[in-house]
Amino acid sequence: MWKWIQKLASPKVFYDTTNKLVPWFFWPFIVLTIIGLYWGLVLAPADYQQGESFRIIYIHVPSAWMSMLVYFIMAVTGAIGLIWQIKMAEVVAKVSAPIGATFTLIALVTGAIWGKPMWGTWWVWDARLTSELILLFLYLAYISLNNAFDNPRTAAKASSILAIVGLVNLPIIHYSVKWWNTLHQGSMFNDISNPSMHPDMLWPLLIMVFAFQFLYGVLTLISARDEVLVREQNSRWVRAVVTVEQL
Amino acid sequence: MTLAETLSFLPYGQYALYIWLSYGITFILIIGLFVRASINYKKIRTQLKNKYAREND
Repeated sequence: MWKWIQKLASPKVFYDTTNKLVPWFFWPFIVLTIIGLYWGLVLAPADYQQGESFRIIYIHVPSAWMSMLVYFIMAVTGAIGLIWQIKMAEVVAKVSAPIGATFTLIALVTGAIWGKPMWGTWWVWDARLTSELILLFLYLAYISLNNAFDNPRTAAKASSILAIVGLVNLPIIHYSVKWWNTLHQGSMFNDISNPSMHPDMLWPLLIMVFAFQFLYGVLTLISARDEVLVREQNSRWVRAVVTVEQL
Repeated sequence: MTLAETLSFLPYGQYALYIWLSYGITFILIIGLFVRASINYKKIRTQLKNKYAREND
């Protein structure tokens, strides 16, 4: 395992591996999205309290989960880059930021759209909503800081420290519905063996969660591949790859 | 008549506006990520090809 990680730390091996993995993430994303959306939008019954509007959860919940998972990955890979000086970890952290910011934006926007018919308002300064908005600002700050330096290693160091400090926001988002009296509904998965959703509603949600994970995977692989080319542009192997590849 | 009522002929009735708006925005943002990746792909390779061509001259 450690040997495999060490091998993957080589830019050329990393580039070749990402190239090979792209279709393995792209096609499951497409297939799972089609199944999840068909099941969620067509087959799943309407909620007895929320009516048809509950169908927004099939994009809201996966994107909200991904917003936190991607931030966690960004901070962990940033820390790996800081501690072990693994450049490919820095690359993964950097390319994850815009993807995570987009997931956060989707969670906030779809939540606001769901809130209008359910709560009667687009936005409230609720603990869950506010902490998720702070997460978006953390992503934007990370991207800005990363772009503020010419040297990619210095940029990675500064932005990784920011990402690690911002980790404190993740438990706040997760437990906000328990710690404070919020308008946002509680977690549906407090007891995994006894979820509060009917299986006909739960399965498409889980499928969409997996679809979004594959989406993150494919976008990270594509962006990381390009970032490696830029960073290693003075290497002979990049010259060979670029010369051979057709646009 | 509100916009939600006007669009209630679509699937999901009175919630059609909210559901389709959510899915529409999500679709656009995800497509945007792929388009951005595709533009970067071409841009980076063109820049590197030009750089190597200049160095060879």
